Amino acid sequence: MQDKIVEVNFGPQHPSTHGVLRVKVKLDGEVIVDAQPVIGYLHRNAEKLSEMGYYPKAQIYVDRLDYAAALNMELGFVLSAEKLMDIQVPDRALWIRMMMVELNRIASHFIWLGTHGLDMGMLSPFFYCFREREKVFRILDEITGSRLLYNYFAIGGVYSDVTPKSLEMIKTWLSDFDKNLTEIENIFKKSYIYVARTRGTGKLSLDDTISYGVTGPMLRAAGKKWDLRKNRPYLHYDQINFDVPSQQAGDVYARMLVRIEEMHQSARIVAQVLEKLPAGDFYNKKYSKPMLVRIKATGESYIPTESPKGEFGIYLVGDGSAIPYRFRIRSPSFANLSAAPAMLIGYKIADMTATLSSMDPVFGEVDR
Amino acid sequence: MIPVESEASSKDGVKIIYVAKENILQFLKEKKDEGFDYLLMITGIDYKDHLEVVYHLLSSKSGERLVVKAKTDGEIDSVTSLWKGANWHERETWDLLGIKFNGHPNLKRILLAEGWVGHPLRKDYPMDKKQYVNLKEDGDDTVSFEKKEGY
Repeated sequence: MQDKIVEVNFGPQHPSTHGVLRVKVKLDGEVIVDAQPVIGYLHRNAEKLSEMGYYPKAQIYVDRLDYAAALNMELGFVLSAEKLMDIQVPDRALWIRMMMVELNRIASHFIWLGTHGLDMGMLSPFFYCFREREKVFRILDEITGSRLLYNYFAIGGVYSDVTPKSLEMIKTWLSDFDKNLTEIENIFKKSYIYVARTRGTGKLSLDDTISYGVTGPMLRAAGKKWDLRKNRPYLHYDQINFDVPSQQAGDVYARMLVRIEEMHQSARIVAQVLEKLPAGDFYNKKYSKPMLVRIKATGESYIPTESPKGEFGIYLVGDGSAIPYRFRIRSPSFANLSAAPAMLIGYKIADMTATLSSMDPVFGEVDR
Repeated sequence: MIPVESEASSKDGVKIIYVAKENILQFLKEKKDEGFDYLLMITGIDYKDHLEVVYHLLSSKSGERLVVKAKTDGEIDSVTSLWKGANWHERETWDLLGIKFNGHPNLKRILLAEGWVGHPLRKDYPMDKKQYVNLKEDGDDTVSFEKKEGY
């Protein structure tokens, strides 16, 4: 049996793949010598479906791409569509959008942090994270009426205004958010087993990160301070103070640190939006829903946004009709996952769950 | 210098450059050396009489963006030698649009099952014909137009 390479099928139904990912692994003893991800199990061709209906109709498919951060997905779509159609958005709507995507980013990172702990054999942070995530969901539920898939942003604004009650809820939630998050953070940082299993695991060098087109927290963990909210501000991010966290190591532990710091910064942004939220309309009254399906558009647009997983945007090409001619989704998880072989080969099979979960792939978005 | 066929601008102010498809690999290599180190995505558009391949580039130093397009009739050179990430993007473009990338190390379908008939993002793809995926004994996929036990 010596010198024999063993092939192992990891997934598609495996609790630590966070969806339907299958990895064909070749093992030499315990060491991974080849790993090829196989994707497509959740493919439903959202691009084709979106190319079959009017512009606003595509939003329901966009919602279901990254279902853990549906508002961030919607933002990429509405910004691109508004640019294509030359639609102005009232100031208040922009600020509301900014607050909502940051809340959703926190919820998305919480679900990641909890399940990442679970993958590493820690049960308690899972419950703490879902407790905190539930608080965010209560707020989102109060504002949008849904808990997971919102369909809240609209071309030209948002569907409903924030209520005074929801603003109160956010203030109460903010008052102890940092304390609760630090508590969870310490469970990770002070666990000897967690640190030993994640430090130096799943390393991806900065050159490889750029070559594979990896963006988001994984890029920042590899040593580059790159955040589209700072480097190419959209909405009103240029009027807000926040820091971009970055780490040098590029391993699983660094990715955890970056994501946790991002959550602190997101809460900071939400607190500043509450202070600066201007009065006014929350949608452009010129464009009602029946009006929107009649808008014809030409040209092309692509507005990149910083989603919890990386650079997300929708490349829209119009042909002069009310239906998008080409609807291409730039999905960050797809590009991030393509770097998986570089992060897995050479490590042991026990490191695989750590590395795969540190990528935070969401398969609604990878398979589209 | 590789000649540029024409230039345009998108609605968000990004430059669009059209290049002949024979020169695409050389042109992108030049651009990569100029500092466009990120390949964000490769995609294609079906214009019924011809196909277009679209490359979105980004310079991570200056933050500048660039869109490069090439008209083709279904074949173009692969850029996997320049960016490792091009591998999956080219496989996806082949899978959904049927554009062949010459020199690609592993040009197989990525999202759909191997053996699928047609390329869904083509404008003439028949939407009313259902295809079913079944598993063979050895675990590989087979595709047929008749419903069997699969999905």
